[in-house]
Amino acid sequence: MTPRLPHRVIVAALSIALVAMPALAHKLREKGVAVTVADSSLTVTPTRDWNRLGQSPGKHAETWTLDGEQLDDVTFYAGIAPGEPLVKERSKKRDPLPKFTATTQIVEIPELLEGTYRTYKSIGAFTLVSTDPVKFLGHDGVLFTYDYTDEDLLTRRGEARATIVDGKLYMITFDAPRLYYFDRFLGDARALSGSATL
Amino acid sequence: MTAMKTTAIRWAVIVGTIAAAITPIAARATDPVLPPPYAGVYQPQGVDEIGLWHDDDDDEHALAASPLVIRDEKLTAYVKRVLCDTVGDDRCAPIRIYIIREPAFNASMSPNGTMRVLSGLFLRVRNDSEFGAVLGHEFGHFESRHTLAAFKGRRSGTDLLAWTALLASVAPSYGMARSYDDLRYSVYGSIFRHGRDQEREADRLGIAYLNHSHFRPQSASVMWHTVMAEAEASARAKGLKKPNFKTIAFTASHPPEAERAHYLAALAAPDDAGRADGADRYRAALAPWMPVFLDDQIKLNDFGGSDYLIENLAETGWTAPLWLARGDLYRTRGAQRDYANAATFYANAIDLDPTLAPAFRGLGLTLVKTGRTTEGQDALRRYLALSPTAPGAKLVRMMVPQGTNP
Repeated sequence: MTPRLPHRVIVAALSIALVAMPALAHKLREKGVAVTVADSSLTVTPTRDWNRLGQSPGKHAETWTLDGEQLDDVTFYAGIAPGEPLVKERSKKRDPLPKFTATTQIVEIPELLEGTYRTYKSIGAFTLVSTDPVKFLGHDGVLFTYDYTDEDLLTRRGEARATIVDGKLYMITFDAPRLYYFDRFLGDARALSGSATL
Repeated sequence: MTAMKTTAIRWAVIVGTIAAAITPIAARATDPVLPPPYAGVYQPQGVDEIGLWHDDDDDEHALAASPLVIRDEKLTAYVKRVLCDTVGDDRCAPIRIYIIREPAFNASMSPNGTMRVLSGLFLRVRNDSEFGAVLGHEFGHFESRHTLAAFKGRRSGTDLLAWTALLASVAPSYGMARSYDDLRYSVYGSIFRHGRDQEREADRLGIAYLNHSHFRPQSASVMWHTVMAEAEASARAKGLKKPNFKTIAFTASHPPEAERAHYLAALAAPDDAGRADGADRYRAALAPWMPVFLDDQIKLNDFGGSDYLIENLAETGWTAPLWLARGDLYRTRGAQRDYANAATFYANAIDLDPTLAPAFRGLGLTLVKTGRTTEGQDALRRYLALSPTAPGAKLVRMMVPQGTNP
């Protein structure tokens, strides 16, 4: 019941930085060149240059950014099978993440993302702002927006499109600080997710 | 050889003296006693304390503007009331309360009189007395100026290590290096032990406040039993080893939970066990927030811990929000066997509150998953009728057959 020790945080940050160093092989994704993402058949054609981050958040996920993932983050979740979490679990046993299941309904996908964010980031402030039907990858899907406040006390906004094709989950999210960055790059992010085909 | 031995002994003496010097363990009195009466506005004394308060004032400015603070006048006033009832109106008057939206079990109080209460705490206590026990403990840290003492202890310990490292490096024998290592462990061990002794002292003060208040002092021990039971339930559901509540790790910041539950029970004035615990007042004050905090908890994906907390809160009677939370918990875990239970829990919630729209949504989705589509669609229609503009209503509308929309 006392404030956490700051030096623990510093040690953790340093060790993460050291471990992450060799994996920083980011790739440029050039304007107009169609590419597949997240080791799947999901294909996008960017309308401007993007950076693909070297470290992916999960087996079926991949992150792109313009200025760094803290400022604008497009994450593709492509072909999440039943029984799998959206991103890689830190510890399957101790900190399990919510799983996509064979009976997950499209209307429940926002809940799945919310549960994943809350569990993974240990945050309490997550609000689902809107949920609407949308056509995504040629199928009935869901378009939803959300706000959350991360550990850095910066409120971020997100917009996601998701659908279920052949029992697998496909989703593209765009997260950025609500102040300035979200509105600044929303158009680019929408153009990117709009170009997605299976 | 003889010279080395003498050096080692000398070092052992130094180690002992230093370790004792930085751990001022108060002699344990049999009864917890209150500190002297509150002496009015306190101002920091000396450079260390003035510096700490200065930093703390900056932190408080940032906290006051934080997007995570729950700005609900009524809830904050209620927390303040419980604190005042626990420690007395004179002591609590200058304290500022900040309720932070974070689903974890914690509260803290910093040197300048800022009290932080995490929203997760509200699910771990069930009445004013248990809540007052936590707030009183934190206030005990504040009144004893523990942050300052801990800072000074850490500084003298690490100063000593810096100097001995320097001296050891110029010492003529290898034995010095080994002795330095011994000293290092001893100093760090003392710093951590000092922290645990502060916790014990705050516990004793906390129970002294409770004994002098109108709350039931036995609640302090009950709360620790809840915390242990939650950890056990969480570990059981994850298939982990049962946590050990008796051992003390070298770096543990707090005494083991079992020890705390035990001595808090022993220190509570036995004659006061019959006092009212204030469960009704607690429920009434938390009613608007309970659904929100429950939702924050169940979305943490800690099935065992969440289920335990819900059942623990329901010991004084099930409510519609508790049944709804349990339904959501089982539905979102998503094993086929969970859906049958979830449907029952949602139905229980609807029995208690037939206008609880989210319960109809949960029931409808659950029934659809188990193949009872027609019944599920009926429940979803009821949800849409009760809450036509809820986020997601358009999607739910797509799940019910055309032409029958409300």
